[in-house]
Amino acid sequence: MAAMVDMAVDAGVPLVEMVDVGKSYGVIQALRGVSLRVNAGEVTCVLGDNGAGKSTLIKIMSGLHQQSEGALRVDGEEVRFGSPREALDRGIATVYQDLAVVPLMEVWRNFFLGSEVRKRLWPFNPLDAEGMRRTARAELSKMGIELDDVNQPIGTLSGGQRQCVAIARAVYFGARVLILDEPTAALGVKQSGVVLRYIARARDAGLGVVLITHNPHHAYLVGDHFVVLKRGQMSLDGKRDEITLDELTQQMAGGDELEALTSELRRAQV
Amino acid sequence: MSGHRRTAALVLASALALAAAACSSTGGKQEENGGAAANAGKANTPRVKIAMVTHEAPGDTFWSLVRKGAEAAAAKDNVQLVYTNDPQAAQQSTLVQNAVDQKVAGIAVTLSKPDALKGAVQNAVAAGIPVVALNAGQQQWKDVGAMEFFGQDESVAGEAAGRRLATEGAKKVLCVIHEQGSVALEARCAGVAKGLAGAGTVENVTVTGTDMPSVKQTLTAKLQQDRGIDRVIGLGAPFALTAVQAAKDTGSTAKVATFDTNRDLVNAIRSGDVQWAIDQQPYLQGYLAVDALWLYLNNGNTIGGGQTVLTGPAFVDKKNVDAIATYANNGTR
Amino acid sequence: MSQTLERPPEAAVPKRPARPSLLYRAFVRPETGSLVGAIAILIFFAAVAPPFRQLTSAATVLYASSTIGIMAIAVALLMIGGEFDLSAGVSVVTAALTASMLSYELSLNLWVGTLVALVVALAIGWVNGYLVVRTGIPSFLVTLGTFLMLQGLNLAVTKMITGTVATRNISDMDGYDSLRAVFASQFTIGGVAIRVTVLWWLLFVAVSSYVLLRTRIGNWILAVGGNADSARAVGVPVNKVKVGLFVTVGFLAWFTGMHLLYSFNTVQSGEGVGNEFRYIIAAVIGGALLTGGYGSTIGSAIGAFIFGMTTQGIVYAGWDPDWFKFFLGIMLLLATVTNLWVRRLATRRG
Repeated sequence: MAAMVDMAVDAGVPLVEMVDVGKSYGVIQALRGVSLRVNAGEVTCVLGDNGAGKSTLIKIMSGLHQQSEGALRVDGEEVRFGSPREALDRGIATVYQDLAVVPLMEVWRNFFLGSEVRKRLWPFNPLDAEGMRRTARAELSKMGIELDDVNQPIGTLSGGQRQCVAIARAVYFGARVLILDEPTAALGVKQSGVVLRYIARARDAGLGVVLITHNPHHAYLVGDHFVVLKRGQMSLDGKRDEITLDELTQQMAGGDELEALTSELRRAQV
Repeated sequence: MSGHRRTAALVLASALALAAAACSSTGGKQEENGGAAANAGKANTPRVKIAMVTHEAPGDTFWSLVRKGAEAAAAKDNVQLVYTNDPQAAQQSTLVQNAVDQKVAGIAVTLSKPDALKGAVQNAVAAGIPVVALNAGQQQWKDVGAMEFFGQDESVAGEAAGRRLATEGAKKVLCVIHEQGSVALEARCAGVAKGLAGAGTVENVTVTGTDMPSVKQTLTAKLQQDRGIDRVIGLGAPFALTAVQAAKDTGSTAKVATFDTNRDLVNAIRSGDVQWAIDQQPYLQGYLAVDALWLYLNNGNTIGGGQTVLTGPAFVDKKNVDAIATYANNGTR
Repeated sequence: MSQTLERPPEAAVPKRPARPSLLYRAFVRPETGSLVGAIAILIFFAAVAPPFRQLTSAATVLYASSTIGIMAIAVALLMIGGEFDLSAGVSVVTAALTASMLSYELSLNLWVGTLVALVVALAIGWVNGYLVVRTGIPSFLVTLGTFLMLQGLNLAVTKMITGTVATRNISDMDGYDSLRAVFASQFTIGGVAIRVTVLWWLLFVAVSSYVLLRTRIGNWILAVGGNADSARAVGVPVNKVKVGLFVTVGFLAWFTGMHLLYSFNTVQSGEGVGNEFRYIIAAVIGGALLTGGYGSTIGSAIGAFIFGMTTQGIVYAGWDPDWFKFFLGIMLLLATVTNLWVRRLATRRG
């Protein structure tokens, strides 16, 4: 069914590899026979309609769920993640669209949340606020986000900027693989541009990126490799030079089903 | 593991050491001389169930005395006492109806809002259940259909207090209401004003009775604001004792008097911190209500000859405080 | 789309004025609105109530503020962490009753009863927190349950043990003097008697504010209330933080309870009911968001101060006590509106 990636073309061991992975929740088979590879310095796009199995796929990779069949390999070594923390420890960071940040907290606090830098000072070991502000500003600026004030609540930033801060945070704390869940779904055109540009930068910095989206245009702008899921199975798998945007759009829009729907609606209008 | 055990041993050892040093050399239970409550043996009449329904707001000292009296009478008369209470008249009425439905042998009820309770009381009478009233409803108990009445209205007690204040030459009285909107407390303060009859003025102050520090703060503020206040009258013993503290703190010369007594208040009267307390004998109200029902059920007696049986007002002051001190210490006065 | 991409990335982010002014940064603090309200109320009462201007009155107002304010700190922290505690008012009394009855009935040194009461109060907080994080039932409901349970326990156990609704006087027992010095003493500065609770209050405010703004725990509290899922995703121990906040409420409930006990020597078992709302009101006036994630303990102190000024100010002004609650409501509403107005102004600037 799904063509296996040609091993000869890809140099070295992939950062993350899924081989024939499946997942069932009770009697429901959410995912079946999915194989994909995430290479350093590449963007792997996973496309699919609602309910196609995209979120199940991310949950397995990020450690929230475990696969029921098949293998998950990190640096060529087979693993089963028990928690998101284990995935993080292997350098796999996930940025969720809806819970990326705490809106009312300052940018620098968000950036360092969960990994705060502290001074050794009895009795409270206070935060190194100045240091963290400086680092946050520098890291964000390195990735092209210039904020005049890292003290502003992150909620005052645009949706795109917020995603970027969450991504920059993941990168700074040692992520080698970034899983981005629909980072552009709630954004306008301009904001999406900010995020996509940022994804490209992360890729150029040598990270492996998994971009989950249902927008083929966004995927095609940054993607090196495309996987389309349909009802839990892979319906398309190919490299950028093997697929055109039109093919991708056609696959995403539903292919044959769309044509059937088109003619049905046309009849109904008469 | 051994570290854990060592810690546990250490904790145990220090706990033992602490326990040895922990006892208080003064005060506490050890100094109580086990005063027995009134105990008059036990009647051999058939066991019956009597319901007492009051408008007690939970946690009021006054009502715990009423209830103790009722329980003492019940123990003596071989009566199973079912005590229920709710400060809202509608709820209290439901509780009376509940007692009727249980087919109790007799009902004792406080007529805090006689009109609201009339229906339920008359249902009881119609069902052949004798009803006596206590504490509240001095004017209306006959109309409502109760057989007897024990106690004294709040306003009558208030008037008596007011008259005494007038003879003492009080010019400006602060009446401390510890529960905003309470009918009984408002009636007491109104009674005080009536009893003063122009000899002085009464000003009411509302405090949050459930928050003692705030009671003290409000009274302190009031005494700081109005230096002319020469009497503070509390409507419950704990609030009068707090008023004493507030007066001391502000250097006010105002003297403190109160409604109702408790252990600490008796001592305060002895020491002169509180001038006097007006006593409605709540224990007696509860006791008489239950005892009267027992007498009626077993011998057809009624007390009072169709008139109100007054349980007060009586004054407790330095002169007679020693007579009741022991009982107050036992928690029955 | 591709056109946008060709521009340098920086251009997509609008430039803001270089450095935000100090005024602006003060504006966005949660407590700023309440501070404005507090000053307004201070001026108002100073104008209409001459006794309000005396130093002795200030001491009374501060005392009133402190007895609400100490608990308001813990309640504010809990609200910032996204939870409520309706049992906060009665657990104060539970602590006081425990210390008093235990010491009295067993004739123990009061320090023993006081320390046992601490354990009990912390345990109440822990149970509240554990139930909330374990069951996922909103804390409003869980603590409503414990509120009713404690209210019933306070009454029933007190009555069972002492036979009345109040505890015995403990002022003649060992340890009383030292405990009273800690929890309920007063000292004189320039002829004005200041309650020790005022000092404790200021100390607790300072410590809690530092913890909230300058420590990792504080960061976590803000994050847990602001977006618990997000906090969990980056490794914040959300449940531990929440349980810790409930235990903090227990600690300060114990402290307030000890003040209650050692300043009045006896405790009425029905006390404390309704105080939970005063604590919440103080926290909300001080800028704590009902939905969590935002607020400050300095704000809770200002809120308690507003509460203290209003309750005492009405008395100093000599207004008819029947109107008391009405005036209180107006004052609180005004303070809250001022608060909101200032915050709006701040966000518009931002």
